[in-house]
Amino acid sequence: MNRRHFLQTSLAATAVAGSLAPRAESADDFPGILDSNVSLFRWPFRRLPLDDTEKLVKKLRSLGVTKALAASFEGVFHRDLDTANARLVAECARFPELVPIGTVNPTLPGWERDLDRCAAEFRMPGIRLFPSQQGYALDSTLFARLLDRAAKAGLLVQITVTLEDVRTQPESLVTPDVDLAPLAEAMKQAPRARVQLLNLRPRASQVAALAAIPNLHFDTARADGSDGVASLVEAAGRERVLFGTHAPFLIPEAALIRVHESALAPKPLHAVLRENAERLLS
Amino acid sequence: MDLADFHWGLPSREQLEGYRIWDSYFTPSHGHPGKDGYSGVLAEMDRARRSALELGRFEKLCWFPHVGIGTTSDPAFESLVRAKPETVTKPMEYWPDRMLGMIQLNANDVPASLDALDRWLRDGPMLGVYFPGGGPGALNCAHANFPRLVERIIDLGGVIMQHTWFITGGNPSPGMSTPSDLAKLAAKFPDYPFVCAHAGGEWEKGIRAVRDQPNVLAETSGFDATAGFLEMAVRELGPERIIFGSHLPSRSLGTELAKVTAAEIDEEAKRKILGENFRRLLGTA
Repeated sequence: MNRRHFLQTSLAATAVAGSLAPRAESADDFPGILDSNVSLFRWPFRRLPLDDTEKLVKKLRSLGVTKALAASFEGVFHRDLDTANARLVAECARFPELVPIGTVNPTLPGWERDLDRCAAEFRMPGIRLFPSQQGYALDSTLFARLLDRAAKAGLLVQITVTLEDVRTQPESLVTPDVDLAPLAEAMKQAPRARVQLLNLRPRASQVAALAAIPNLHFDTARADGSDGVASLVEAAGRERVLFGTHAPFLIPEAALIRVHESALAPKPLHAVLRENAERLLS
Repeated sequence: MDLADFHWGLPSREQLEGYRIWDSYFTPSHGHPGKDGYSGVLAEMDRARRSALELGRFEKLCWFPHVGIGTTSDPAFESLVRAKPETVTKPMEYWPDRMLGMIQLNANDVPASLDALDRWLRDGPMLGVYFPGGGPGALNCAHANFPRLVERIIDLGGVIMQHTWFITGGNPSPGMSTPSDLAKLAAKFPDYPFVCAHAGGEWEKGIRAVRDQPNVLAETSGFDATAGFLEMAVRELGPERIIFGSHLPSRSLGTELAKVTAAEIDEEAKRKILGENFRRLLGTA
């Protein structure tokens, strides 16, 4: 099935449902959107309009988001990650929608304790990694050990492919997108690992290759183009794509409008907006 | 919760229609219109239909046709479009009363570009020019070829848009221009407006580069929906110096419209940015 056929099928299914707007079966069917890609605290290179947690949560609520996986910008740049993770937990505790996602940096001595605390003490369902910013590759022993330990602890692993388009990054800190070529082999060595890629700018050929990796998932934050989300769902499979905004760095409305533009049929729509993430976290 | 009640982050249909959106940067099949001169553009217009027309409620969309003066790398297409210039205007027939055009100029070939200005601006129906940032037609706008072309465009009253980027990581294309280059060119013609497409991509630098050159306007498309862009642009340039572009369908309505509609700026500023300023440039306000 090609992209156009997929889109037409989706549109036809939606039209049969009686409206261009996707419709749940009844008013209380849908528990709200789950945003799999949110960050808290300050982005160090500029103030963001939504970098106050209260304001961010208010915005997410207004968009129908009832749960958000929230990591910390501090996690990208700090080395005392235990306190950064603790601050994140405390901040998330103020808002029922926010689920804390800790940061682990395997280049730091004693990272194992950070990971163990995320799982056992902070009761986090996952951790977020920043390989480009923190200086390791996916074919490194460090990553392999981390992936294995996270799998054993039952933690979802979110790999941040990039935080910003490489063309617009601050000149003093230009970091390329994470090289995903070694990921298949790394996940083969840790078959129980559950991994999500964040902020990938998906290209069909790359996604098709990545979709062959079991337990690998994607987010929608940078799935651009008028049919970008539909194309991603088609290439990756509807069980593999999770809604994500990359707010507050990116404008959260952008990701939500893109889902609407893609005119997904009700089943894939529900899967992307909520069900895939719930299943991944369970 | 019922998804049928969702607003999806979009303003209401009435609000969108009230903005009277004129898209200054519509890019169906931007690099090559198709071997027959137009079918690629029409296919990409179809791809953008839901976003631009059904959801976005755009009134007008401006695209950048290739007119056979060496802005593509396809000699067969270049010959075809010179022999059959009627292929150029097919998109206007496809969406009647909806499409506006600004021709892609090739500043590397000044005589051909001057001829094209007569053929397409003086004689119509095109309304301005687009200087590309990549491909064989790209030339840095600080080059000595530009003033002669600009003088003729000014004579004809055309809109001038220059592709700009400040690339911080990755490789710039040969012939690419930055907002600083455009500000220098615009300083030579201080009474005429110039549009800085993409606001330089890295918009914090782009806005700074053009803010002291009051005849340069910033166009909003072509980079991720990075939060804070419009707030800074309105603060530094004023809402009169910003025009909306969609970059559809290679970018999305979400990415591009949300930059304006979700920004923390007032409604009057949004109206200016989404349509009024471009209409003013085109002389139709």
